Amino acid sequence: MKIRVKLFGTLPQRYSDYNPEHGLEVEIANGAKVKDLLAHLELSASDSGIVAVNNLVVKANETLKDGVAVSIFQRAFGG
Amino acid sequence: MKFVRVDMTEQNVKVEDVPQQYVGLGGRGLTSIMINNEVPPKCDPLGPENKLIFAPGTLSGTSLVNTSRISIGAKSPLTSTIKESNAGGTVGAALGKLGITAIILEGQAAKGKLFNLIIDQNGEAGLETADAYQGMRTYALVEKLLSTYGKKNGVLCIGPAGEYQLGSASVQTSDVDGRPCRAAGRGGLGAVMGAKGLKAIVISQQGKSPDAIADVDTFKEAAKVFAKAVKDNPFTGQMLGALGTAGLVSAVNSLGAFPSYNATNGVFDGWEKISGEAMAQIIQNRGGKTTHLGCSQCIIHCSNEYVDKDGKYMTSSLEYETLWSMGGMPGIDDLDVIARLDFLADDIGLDTINTGVAIGVAMDAGYKKFGDGQAAVEMMEEIAKGTEIGKVIGNGPEAVGRHFNHHRVPAAKGQSIAAYDPRAMQGNGVTYATSPMGADHTAGNLVGQYLGGALNPLEAEGQVEASRNAQIAMAALDCTGLCLLAGVALADAAATEALLKMMNAKLGTEFGPDDYPALGIRVLKAEREFNRKAGFTNKDDRLAKFFYEEPLPPHNKVFIVSDADLDTTFDF
Repeated sequence: MKIRVKLFGTLPQRYSDYNPEHGLEVEIANGAKVKDLLAHLELSASDSGIVAVNNLVVKANETLKDGVAVSIFQRAFGG
Repeated sequence: MKFVRVDMTEQNVKVEDVPQQYVGLGGRGLTSIMINNEVPPKCDPLGPENKLIFAPGTLSGTSLVNTSRISIGAKSPLTSTIKESNAGGTVGAALGKLGITAIILEGQAAKGKLFNLIIDQNGEAGLETADAYQGMRTYALVEKLLSTYGKKNGVLCIGPAGEYQLGSASVQTSDVDGRPCRAAGRGGLGAVMGAKGLKAIVISQQGKSPDAIADVDTFKEAAKVFAKAVKDNPFTGQMLGALGTAGLVSAVNSLGAFPSYNATNGVFDGWEKISGEAMAQIIQNRGGKTTHLGCSQCIIHCSNEYVDKDGKYMTSSLEYETLWSMGGMPGIDDLDVIARLDFLADDIGLDTINTGVAIGVAMDAGYKKFGDGQAAVEMMEEIAKGTEIGKVIGNGPEAVGRHFNHHRVPAAKGQSIAAYDPRAMQGNGVTYATSPMGADHTAGNLVGQYLGGALNPLEAEGQVEASRNAQIAMAALDCTGLCLLAGVALADAAATEALLKMMNAKLGTEFGPDDYPALGIRVLKAEREFNRKAGFTNKDDRLAKFFYEEPLPPHNKVFIVSDADLDTTFDF
């Protein structure tokens, strides 16, 4: 299945061809979970990659749906 | 450990030892406990009975990184509650290095008279007439003061808004480059300074008489541990340097909690144009600085220098809250306009949050159209000129709501909310409603918990407890002089232990782990006690009515934490 991924914070710097307007289109196995997506993108726990779908933070074990748009950003605190 | 007591009525300055009852207190702990003891709770905030207190933290002036915060406290003319607003820059560390625990302004100068307080490298303090500086904006003022007294000084000052005694007037502080781009913005404390008749405080950064540290070796070791934790944390060690707090624009919009168009939507249409990522790209392309040292002894460098298309300086430390208040709230998606508005706020001496929200309310009421950047700039200039409409806007969103008879005023206790909508981040709503300071994100911000998935931002459950714990933690942190961003490193147990060690090593105390939250509780109790005596009750610990009635897209939720639950926030 295909997933549209937008990256924020310093994460886009990891991908030399990253286009902020379009993000990345990721091809991943049907039924993949959030943690599978993070692994696919080589984002580790220490990168604090937080995944949001439909304006909600989703947890590592949640299953992703085909065609979904996800945002991945880093843990941040109030300033 | 010295107090500089300034009697503005008689223009008399006394330097005295810190009375025993205040020994060991600093920052917000000192300002709030002292105001509760010494200021009549029902006094006119702009009258002679109010006191304006400037206190660096207990660790300011030491070798510890990120400790140049200064707390400024008084009874607020905006909220009529007790108020502490703190700022970075250079003056916190400068006062610490002079061994000055607080500057206390009392009384009131005769109407039309204006003074500067000058504190030299020996800690000698004196008032000088400032009639020549009347009406000056802060950039020109600070440039003049630093050329007169020398560049190795830090400055606290007000602009025209403070002289007009407006509810959104800030106290600006100078950064390491001598620019007045740091602000104790909240609560209208610049108006209190203006009412006292003080235009500026010039403080030598060359002081060499900090308070003695009881155990120097332990302090040094613990300071290294703390600094390492700040460097090792991905947020404080990497992200803030790269994007500053502006990195939150993408995160909070992605959670639908970015109050936009005067809090009628939780996602701003143009947010990707004003995000931290977009701003860093623009600054980089134009040759500005995406990372910048703003405060003394800072190792995070969350500041920036925003420049125009020709590479010319426009503003510094353009932060998340301002990108929201001057961007999302009035619907402006042009970073150049937002940068201009940020500069004008600093230059006129205004809280960017309260002022941007006031502009948003005016637009929502039909005074101008959302997204009209030129109109927003003109409104700022009206404030600077002191026109009738300028004074309405400069007195903040509630004044604007009253003027236009408009109901949607996103505020609590008279002060605007910050850049997290309480309907999409319910716990921040608890903090806004119950903080003794009025709506204030720095009193207990839960965004980190929501982003970390530790708490569901849309449910009522768990929000009061989370807000209570955050408010206690912030009240304690605000006593130390540490920047709240560096405080994020306290998630590391070694850093928490190091902080306790440093407090003990500095003060010669034996604080245990429970004493740190106990300090926060003591401060909150003093603040609540003052507010009770001033006439506030639990019924004031509420948000504006529309937050309970108007659902916020995209989650389409209202604020759902019950009044009964809100009233348990300070059950300690």
